[in-house]
Amino acid sequence: MEGKKFSQVGRSVTRIDGPAKVKGEAIYTDDMVMARMAHGKIKRSTYAHAFIKNIDYSKALALPGVLAVITGEDAPNKWGIVPQTANEVTLAVDKVRFHGEGVAAVAAIDEETAEEALDLIEVEYEPLPVLLDPFESMKRAGEILIHENEPDNVLHQGEQLFGNPDQAFAGCKYVLEKKFYTSYVNHAFLEPHSSLAHYDPQNGQLQLWSSNQVPHYLHRQLSIVMDMPMNKIRVILPAVGGGFGGKGEASSSDFCAALLSRKTGRPVRVTYDRNEVFVTNKGRHPCHMKMKIGLDQNGYIQAVDFDNTLDGGAYAGWGMVVMFYTTSMIHLPYKVPNARARVRRVYTNKPTCGAMRGLGGVQPRYAMECLLDELAEMMGVSAYELKMKNAVESGYRSVSNLHVPHTEYKKCLQTVVENSGYLEKHGKQPFGKGIGLAGGYYISGTAYTLYLSYKPHTTVLIRVDTEGGVTVHCAAADIGQGCNTVMAQMAAEVLGVNYEDVHVVSGDTELGTFDLGSFASRVTYASGVAIKEAARQINDKLFEVAAGMLSCRAEQLEVRDRRFYSVFEPKKNIEWEKVVDVYTNTVGTLTGIGHFSPPRLKGIDLTRGERVQGANIGHSPTFGFSAQAIEVDVDVETGKVRVTKVTEAGDCGQAVNPMSVEGQVEGSIMFTLGQALYEEMHLDEDGRMMNACLHHYKVPTVMELPEMDTTIVDSYDPTAPFGVKESGEGPVQPTIPAIANAVYDAIGVRFTELPITPEKVLKALKEKQGK
Amino acid sequence: MKQQLIQLEINNQLYEIPVTPRDLLVDVIRKKVGITGTKKGCGEGDCGACTVLMDGAPVLSCLTLAITCQGRKIITIEGLADEQGALHPIQQSFLDHGAVQCGFCTPGMILTTKALLDKNPHPDQTSIKRGIAGNICRCTGYKKIVEAIGAAADRIATREVK
Amino acid sequence: MYLDEFEYYAPKTADETFELAGRLGSQAKVLAGGTDLILNMKQSLLKPQCLIDINGVKEFQGLIYEAGKGAVIGAATKISELEHSAVLRDKYFALHQAARELGSTQVRAMATIGGNICNASPAAETSSPLVALGTKVVINSAAGERELPLEDFIIGNRKTALEQGELLVKFLLPEPAPQTASCYTNIGLRNAMEIDAVNMAVNLTLEADNRTVKVLRLVMGSVAPRPLVSVEVPALLVGQALNSNLIEKAAAAAAGEAQPISDIRATAEYRREAVFVLSRRVLQEAFNAAQEV
Repeated sequence: MEGKKFSQVGRSVTRIDGPAKVKGEAIYTDDMVMARMAHGKIKRSTYAHAFIKNIDYSKALALPGVLAVITGEDAPNKWGIVPQTANEVTLAVDKVRFHGEGVAAVAAIDEETAEEALDLIEVEYEPLPVLLDPFESMKRAGEILIHENEPDNVLHQGEQLFGNPDQAFAGCKYVLEKKFYTSYVNHAFLEPHSSLAHYDPQNGQLQLWSSNQVPHYLHRQLSIVMDMPMNKIRVILPAVGGGFGGKGEASSSDFCAALLSRKTGRPVRVTYDRNEVFVTNKGRHPCHMKMKIGLDQNGYIQAVDFDNTLDGGAYAGWGMVVMFYTTSMIHLPYKVPNARARVRRVYTNKPTCGAMRGLGGVQPRYAMECLLDELAEMMGVSAYELKMKNAVESGYRSVSNLHVPHTEYKKCLQTVVENSGYLEKHGKQPFGKGIGLAGGYYISGTAYTLYLSYKPHTTVLIRVDTEGGVTVHCAAADIGQGCNTVMAQMAAEVLGVNYEDVHVVSGDTELGTFDLGSFASRVTYASGVAIKEAARQINDKLFEVAAGMLSCRAEQLEVRDRRFYSVFEPKKNIEWEKVVDVYTNTVGTLTGIGHFSPPRLKGIDLTRGERVQGANIGHSPTFGFSAQAIEVDVDVETGKVRVTKVTEAGDCGQAVNPMSVEGQVEGSIMFTLGQALYEEMHLDEDGRMMNACLHHYKVPTVMELPEMDTTIVDSYDPTAPFGVKESGEGPVQPTIPAIANAVYDAIGVRFTELPITPEKVLKALKEKQGK
Repeated sequence: MKQQLIQLEINNQLYEIPVTPRDLLVDVIRKKVGITGTKKGCGEGDCGACTVLMDGAPVLSCLTLAITCQGRKIITIEGLADEQGALHPIQQSFLDHGAVQCGFCTPGMILTTKALLDKNPHPDQTSIKRGIAGNICRCTGYKKIVEAIGAAADRIATREVK
Repeated sequence: MYLDEFEYYAPKTADETFELAGRLGSQAKVLAGGTDLILNMKQSLLKPQCLIDINGVKEFQGLIYEAGKGAVIGAATKISELEHSAVLRDKYFALHQAARELGSTQVRAMATIGGNICNASPAAETSSPLVALGTKVVINSAAGERELPLEDFIIGNRKTALEQGELLVKFLLPEPAPQTASCYTNIGLRNAMEIDAVNMAVNLTLEADNRTVKVLRLVMGSVAPRPLVSVEVPALLVGQALNSNLIEKAAAAAAGEAQPISDIRATAEYRREAVFVLSRRVLQEAFNAAQEV
């Protein structure tokens, strides 16, 4: 299976779950019905920072139809997606740290009653001063602590040093340092969180159906919160209506449903209202960044200095990981020989930030791509030339020990510049029209699990028999990105059958084999490796049987189009089913099992004998790349920025399903365009979110859709299964800086703060006019 | 409050359903009739996931009282495929063009599309966009949805099937 | 997000409706399209004990135009009907434009013009064009009918001149004078499903010479608690032959008259700036259109 002569991989097949979805037959968690099912709702705090003096829920319990009420005391075990910093609780214990934090939960016979019961729960608060700015948080840590055990109001800080940046800067001809700010945004997936728990008192087993993208991590957290062994818990994902990282941990809906189920002896479902999705957040970290880049006289990057204060909100969550990712992301996609990064992730009394598409990358990418654009101008060369000069190539190893086995980043840049006419347009259009260029990359899976473990990150079990045909088992999470389809294609490729022949059992910790989850764009690569191994085992066994049936040697055979062929005598061939039948009769059900473990870089860089900084966060077996040229039309009188065209070229390695890849790229661009121009969560001075609704939180509608020209560049990563990389987080990286650079080209103003609203544009234009 | 029986015609079938006036159409469809293709994305009329067709026009079932729908023809996503289960050209087109990812916006999007094409069988790009502007999608970026709708219009026109 | 229980009434005639409204008084709210009312009830901002559903009363629906006399629009007429009305497109263009921009396809299929006006949000789409067009409203109750200019009907932020037991039943739009054109514009962050930061409508009548302004009404929305009818713009422009300088002056005057606030959608400063730009554009557009009538 070497080379790129694929038959199933590379097909733009219809999604496996597509027909159910267009018919409205796909079952999401809130669609499920169970006998005696009760409904849960969470009471949320009306203070951003306060002690809880008392909770009186007697009146709620007395309301007819109410079955149970729980508070923080019912689940005191702390949980957290990053175990070293686990400081979250299901419901607030002793104090609330953000406006909207859950303080109690009710189970009732229907949702109306549950909602009514919330009003009957009386909570007495003792308000505390509210910290809404990370710098204020740090400054006033002496008087106000958000977490008693974090004396600086800082979750974690880090400093990384590679080479000698100060010396390098001193020798640079062009040096530029600027501050950047990225905004407080939410994933706004269409399906609100929903969790249905069924605790069986007779056998002590808990089943949880959840709108979630990391069944395994959820499984672990449930075990901690419920104080139950993992082998008594089963997590099942029904159809999931989008995640984008926001469902990449556990939600209080999961824990409340489980606890209430155990307490009432009935299945309990908790589904969030849209405002709850906003206030529980776990969206992108606002970053207050300072970045300095130095170029030598020939335009080669000599040093990058990066300082980042991440506004993390009330709890830890993914925070530490995001923080270290921002430091990692400065080392690619350009060659950076010297670097310093100083970062800190700070607590504030705001809904917590977490993982969001392209985590830790989008923010420094904005800074870097804008700085390079400006440095190019200082140098008198095109941004394209500057990027091409510094772009990494296959085999590159960064000073931070990131290894890029394969890249077509330069081809992405070339393609985008050609297709968009960037060089002909940049600097040459009438005032108000502009084009901007930016690039980016992302990981294809992480190097480590979030908790210390040596087990494989993904295991795939393939079962072949005469009854079921081919079934792929893997507890991976299809959240709409189409990983079930892709797994089926890859399995079909190796087994020599058609995609349509393959069943996939996924998203179930009992029926599926171990998988870490859908995040960091890991699933295609990880499952691809495991599938290849599992399928190879199956083929080994089937080839022997086929060889016997064809009277030739097993090594002479290949399998394709559902037949085994002798490569030397193609007339010797036999149907795949017949071989399976014989094997099954003589041996039994045929299985293969494959595992994927990412290359585990030691804490020491063996070539330099130095300890690798940054806890190896940001390392990945391979990386995907994207370049974008974006054109804007600015209404200079009203400040409205309209994106008219996006030209993109991406390196995702071999596209398993090109149509799916295009969907990920187009989706990434519109998703991020929202953050660039329209989206921002606003809090008032008491820390209450003012626009926790889709009315006032402006995600892009179809009316904002620009012309889009995307290209999957010809690429194949020889180190990757089927040559694949990632697509779905790489393409979010260039969008914001490309828009910012385009606005600069259009009106001569560089925006270093998001979102770029009409108001900011108009103000800047007037200031410029005034000069 | 005492429930009263109302009659709703959903997907060409008559249902007798006990409701009180406050019951929202989306909840009655999902919980009392028991068909869950109609989705709840925001509950405030801003996402379009709850769209159903009411006498052919797309409406937001999360802002509609069930009791006001008597005597009206309601079509949900479940009513679009034909009696033998063959997909409506719009549904087929969404599949063929990769316009479905997580699928949560899909039922509402398809029904809004049906209303659009019923009224305007040959919409240009602008009309298509205006037609579905009330349906939010966070996954696809809309491009393939717009393409699927254009293709469905062509398909319907050549087949003269509605 | 669930409603409290309420009594539901579905009258079939206007008289039945007035009787109910009179009897139930402040306990009842009128249900037309529901896009504002049901939303407010879900958010617990309103908790009426009774709802009077007027969608079954045919007398409250429909658009009738009589050449020379003008148009009569039933208060319960759907925005979608107005969007597609040829009469509005030809004779009352500002209202046609506003109807097209309101909400989304779904919202337009549900919402009514009466609901949009009676909700009396300062950002309502249809109030500025209707006021610009010189619309009168007909209010009815068990006690009888009365008429009011629309700008006197909307008295403040979410406040109308309706007394207890009264309903807004009709909009009366006068026949447009010869050489008249009207125009509507708005600005928001996105291009759809927007609540405007600013909206504006102009109704302009030219003299027979096709250049001099005979009658001019400019009405701004979202920059005051109620539709702001400009006094200075007509004062500057009536009796004048329009040119771009004059229009610019008028736009500045309009910006000065606006009383915008800062809120989650925009700052007062930006709104004022937007009024300046939009007035200039909408006056120019109306002028161009009036010349071609």
